[in-house]
Amino acid sequence: MPLTHRLIAAAALLFAATLAAQEAALAVRVIHGELPVADAVVSLVPLDAPAPAPAPVEAVVAQEDKEFDPYVTPVAVGTRVNFPNRDTVQHHIYSLSKPKRFEKPLYASGASESVLFDLPGVVALGCNIHDWMIAYVVVLPTPWFAKTGTDGSARLVGAPPGRYRLEIWHPRLARPVSRELVLTAGAAAAETVALTLKPDRRIRRAPETRTGAY
Amino acid sequence: MAGLLSFRRFRTRLLVLILGLLAAALGGAYVLVTRANRANAIAHIEQNLAGALRVFRFSVELRQDRLAQSAKVVSADWPMRTLYLQDVLDRHTLRSTLLSYAERLEVPVVAAFDPEGHMLATTMDELDDEACGPFRHLVQQAEAGNADQAGDFAYLAGRLHVLVVVPLYAPRPNIIGWFGAAFPIDDSFAQALRLTTQAEVTFVSGPGEAARRVLATTLPPARAQTVAAQMTPDTRATAGTTVVDLDDEPFVTLFTPLGLLGDDPARIALQRSLAAELAPARELEHVIALIAVAALVAASVVALGAARSVSRPVQALAAHTEVIARGDYNARIELDRADELGQLAASFNRMSAGLAERDRVRDLLDKNVSPAVAAQLLRDGAALGGEERPVTILFVDLRGFTTLSESLAPRELIALLNRYLDAMSQAIEAEGGVIDKFIGDAIMALFGAPLAQPDAADRALAAAQAMRHALAQLNTVLAAEGRPPLAFGIGINTARVVAGNIGSHRRLNYSVIGDGVNVAARLQALTRDPAHATDVIVSDATLRAATRPWRTLPLGSVKVKGRAGEVLIHKLLSDPARP
Repeated sequence: MPLTHRLIAAAALLFAATLAAQEAALAVRVIHGELPVADAVVSLVPLDAPAPAPAPVEAVVAQEDKEFDPYVTPVAVGTRVNFPNRDTVQHHIYSLSKPKRFEKPLYASGASESVLFDLPGVVALGCNIHDWMIAYVVVLPTPWFAKTGTDGSARLVGAPPGRYRLEIWHPRLARPVSRELVLTAGAAAAETVALTLKPDRRIRRAPETRTGAY
Repeated sequence: MAGLLSFRRFRTRLLVLILGLLAAALGGAYVLVTRANRANAIAHIEQNLAGALRVFRFSVELRQDRLAQSAKVVSADWPMRTLYLQDVLDRHTLRSTLLSYAERLEVPVVAAFDPEGHMLATTMDELDDEACGPFRHLVQQAEAGNADQAGDFAYLAGRLHVLVVVPLYAPRPNIIGWFGAAFPIDDSFAQALRLTTQAEVTFVSGPGEAARRVLATTLPPARAQTVAAQMTPDTRATAGTTVVDLDDEPFVTLFTPLGLLGDDPARIALQRSLAAELAPARELEHVIALIAVAALVAASVVALGAARSVSRPVQALAAHTEVIARGDYNARIELDRADELGQLAASFNRMSAGLAERDRVRDLLDKNVSPAVAAQLLRDGAALGGEERPVTILFVDLRGFTTLSESLAPRELIALLNRYLDAMSQAIEAEGGVIDKFIGDAIMALFGAPLAQPDAADRALAAAQAMRHALAQLNTVLAAEGRPPLAFGIGINTARVVAGNIGSHRRLNYSVIGDGVNVAARLQALTRDPAHATDVIVSDATLRAATRPWRTLPLGSVKVKGRAGEVLIHKLLSDPARP
């Protein structure tokens, strides 16, 4: 590594450390009634300055056991998502959503397809031959986002102090929920968001063994 | 009505007769109504079952069409056709796709076939290629007929299904395979059919199977087995209905064969309960039965009343007859009714009156004529013809009555005369003599007339002796009363005389006429002659006619006035037994 490179690296580290010193952390808890809500996507959109361009990363939405895995995948704008078939059967995945329309006709186990998501928005994924298969890729215009776990909580880190709009999306929300908040340096903020979710309308998966009765 | 139907009482007979007839009529009507109701109910159920069968066929057709439409939608699906046309057929993906589509279409069984009808994938795991024979058969059938679809009943994995196949075109008319769909004829199908038809539904396997299986039913398992066992082997489409008893409840049952692909025809049994159908009629029958019972009770009451209204007056008449038989002709029976019994009572009363009248007449006769004459008059009628017969005639005359009449008041005289005549009459009648007439203080009596008496002469002689005795007794009484004694003279003669009713047509007397009568009167007059010194003179003819010996003394012969010859007369001596 040349010296100049080392210097740059050192400067970068110093900058990062400076930044880290200014970072605020936000713990978000999403509930529906008393119950924690998993698979909710929470993100922070800065109000006073344009959001910095997120670092390009790769994401994976696999097909396994005739399901998409994971169910909800938040990605930053410009992310390429791979769709590997790790199943025993072929799949025919597609999206009819505005931010990204695509179709990957029947491809077999071991093969993989990838799609670049370059516009923000929610992209619903389906399989043409397995009606029950459903997944969401949530394309976000901000680097600060997270997905709630089974305990309904997510942690947003890295955003500098300032005014933000906290946005929450969930497959069972009629429309995204948002609220404004101010992050202050060094302080650990916590936010609880209560959602009113619609019923789960996912298709019941066909049983693997059938007797032929109604 | 002898034997069983002979009753001692009219009331019982009438009751049994009316109740019997009524019960027969009502019972007959009840039986007819019941049979008609049953026939109607069966006919009605048969109509319903025929309708249920049409509903079944229509619903199968409808479902089959829906199945075929669904199959057509799936067969035209792009990824489905893509899957079919891949270089290497991916059966796993095909099967998972079929599962998804079966769910989407809500079709119980879907299967994919190659152009020859060999199974590629199916949602029904029990089916292998072999078991898909019925589908293959339909594929061949559709291909042969160049048809867009083919469908029929068939067994899949031993269960009855309705099958449909449609071709996969890529594009039409290139057939790249076949798409099959099926729905089972199962219990829930049977239940759905029952909901629309109100009939019990049972599907039974064909008669060729060793043990007939219940394929689907709305009945409890045991009943369904009974239905399967009762299934007729008749394979005609219109075999008519039979009545099958399920736990003693009759069900009108329509067995109809269902043609199967390459198998014995299965059967659909449609049933409706006869008892349930008859329930409203049964209510009516109960009402009829109640009315019948009420009618029988009412008829009993009416019959008893009617019988009583007849038997009571009859009993009263019978009792009245007894009263009349005892001789009470004055009793009258009163029945306040205008019918035959009333007429009978009136007749009874007229009869009583008639009997009383006859009695009175007879009584009068007894007083005026002798009882024997009266009896003969009553028996033979008043017109006794004249006849010549031997009769003993007795004349008795009171002596010295003229002197007596001068010393007594007329009333006392008649009283005394009657006492005397009464005593004499009694003596005469005691011997069977008949008082012919009283002539003043004299009596003319007959023996042997009007009734023939073989010992008439003896009776006359005995009567004379009795009269002597009676006179002696009367004289004893008179002496005690301070009156002078009475005396008489008696003449007795026996001769053939003419006897008969003598007189005008208004008034008749039974009497005798003839010379012999005059002789008797003459003999009586002879007793006045002191030379004879006797009070009783008997003719020789009388003694000859007597059958017993009588103590007499001959008095010689006398010449009787008006007679040519002389008459031998005798004096009757006193009876030594009666001094």
